[in-house]
Amino acid sequence: MMKHRIAVLALTALTGLPLVAAEPAAAQEEAAIPGVQLGLAYENLYIPPLAILPFTGPDADAALVSGVQGIVARDLDYSDRFVVLDSLPEGLADDGIRYSLWDQYGADWVLMGEVETVAGRHFLSIELHDIVFTSVERGRFALPARDDEDFRMAVHRVSDEIVEWVTGEPGIAASRIVFSMRPFGNPTAKELYIVDSDGENLQRLTWDENLAISPAWAPDGNRIAYVSYKTGLPGIYELSLADGSERPVDTGRGGQHMTPAYHPDGDELAFNILGAGLFRYDLGDNCCLVQLVGGRAENLQPSYSHDGDELVFLSNRLGEATPQIYTMPARGGNADLLSPYRFGQGGYFADPDWSPISSKVAFAGGIVRRRVLNRYHIFVADTEVGDNRLRQLTQEGSNEDPSWGPDGRHIVFVGERSNGLGVFIVDSGTGRTRLLVASVEAADTDWSPALGPRT
Amino acid sequence: MSNRRLVLAAFATAIVLAACGSEPEPEMAPEPTGPTAEELERMRQDSIRRAQEAEEARLRAEREAAERERQRRAEMSRQTLRETVYFDYDEAAIRSDTETRLRAKLDILRANPGVQLRMEGHADERGTSEYNIALGNERSEAVIQFLTGFGLDAGRFSSVSYGEERPAAQGSNESAWAQNRRVEFVITAGGDGIGR
Repeated sequence: MMKHRIAVLALTALTGLPLVAAEPAAAQEEAAIPGVQLGLAYENLYIPPLAILPFTGPDADAALVSGVQGIVARDLDYSDRFVVLDSLPEGLADDGIRYSLWDQYGADWVLMGEVETVAGRHFLSIELHDIVFTSVERGRFALPARDDEDFRMAVHRVSDEIVEWVTGEPGIAASRIVFSMRPFGNPTAKELYIVDSDGENLQRLTWDENLAISPAWAPDGNRIAYVSYKTGLPGIYELSLADGSERPVDTGRGGQHMTPAYHPDGDELAFNILGAGLFRYDLGDNCCLVQLVGGRAENLQPSYSHDGDELVFLSNRLGEATPQIYTMPARGGNADLLSPYRFGQGGYFADPDWSPISSKVAFAGGIVRRRVLNRYHIFVADTEVGDNRLRQLTQEGSNEDPSWGPDGRHIVFVGERSNGLGVFIVDSGTGRTRLLVASVEAADTDWSPALGPRT
Repeated sequence: MSNRRLVLAAFATAIVLAACGSEPEPEMAPEPTGPTAEELERMRQDSIRRAQEAEEARLRAEREAAERERQRRAEMSRQTLRETVYFDYDEAAIRSDTETRLRAKLDILRANPGVQLRMEGHADERGTSEYNIALGNERSEAVIQFLTGFGLDAGRFSSVSYGEERPAAQGSNESAWAQNRRVEFVITAGGDGIGR
């Protein structure tokens, strides 16, 4: 757009033609969202091939060995950091690792694994060979018993270790997603559910037969704050995942408490009280309710920046029909519009979520056309670049409730497709999208931080 | 009983007189028996009591009819108070049909200061679920603001928003959406005292 205008100006200077004649043509080239370039602007990433040799386990149960390999192979595939090669031709790995051979085969990385069982305890030994730089990384990880509920998570943590060896960045395998969904047989209730990042292990968390919505993970991964209507008025509760205990967050102020979000330090909660604004409350000291945003408009869905210094939130201060996304200092101050807005053209943007590692914010929405829009897409804006450029991550159906994974790269969201609703994960690097939970009317998806071993 | 006795006595006398004309006197006619003084007094008391009872029954029926009418009117008032009001898409503005319904509620609320209401705000399924809760709240707040704008005490009203979570009508069409963009009313106090 800018280049185009410069060209027009240059042409005007050369020919002396009036500039106004060129304006309508320029205006027509405006993208669907005014002033914003849309489209799938994925980086042209090189995705290195990684070969996985069949895991061995001379003294371990064969089903256990292939089970562990299956989890790791799928995790590495889902990381979208590698092209996983795990159907290798016979004989390629018979004689130890020959780097030149693997180089010819086209693998940049070769992964080997061995499951040992020593005195009833399992260990997973991993070797990751860097074919390009001819180096190797090794690790040995204890695994719990196969029927232990932490077994899969322990294998996921090995997968994340491999990702971190290669990329220096965190993975998403050892993480979970919490969301709200109507339980079977009760069309008026909503309960919280939790699922592993690979779609396994779907579990129900609440049993109130009421409305349980807006879950938010604590940064320690052990607590979830959410909103329940079980007393009649929506209030915030903090659920401990370790023992299932729960406590109401009593801020000392009446009103309908909504959309909680943890500060990265884990002790502070930001939330909305309907009609009253945005507030924060100290969970550690159980005190000190502070109003961050007031006024007549509704201000909700706060999300802290990765460093905890800023907040992104939704406000309808420009009108009920045009909720927009704003950023502001976490201790209060002026709010800046982040979502694209031009007077008279509206737009509907909601569900902001700040990346846990970067200056990027994901949100859902779109431009309202003749007030019938019911199709939203997932967008990412960079709060530091500030060029008002959005990246659109979804192309089909309608999509809401984006939440960043611990790698600051994958985003979980609720998608509506022609064949039904579901929970999806999109990789903002490649645009690759996978279905996490099929055929569920889910909402309010929130992705956990990287989950360490149970304590 | 005493009336019947008089009649019987008169009848007996007539027979006796008729008999006199045709045949010789066969026997002594029975002595005619009139009511005694006590009987007359009892009769008088009886008639007073009957009149009193009739009057009491009439008054009771009147009171009951009035109470039924009051109950009927109170129930109508409660129905008017509970009547759902509707909103336009993505709007919390009071429409004219909504204003008509709110004015009807206003009269009842003014006449019955003990009545308290809870406004339950709702939205249609379009839009994101959490923002729809905010929108539902704006709708119930708009209703409260309308009523307090006429001088009603804000302390009589409370609100809760359900957003799109509790639809009144199922379906993804304009007819269902129109029924779901609403504020419902629950009488939380003073409902029994309406019209007293």
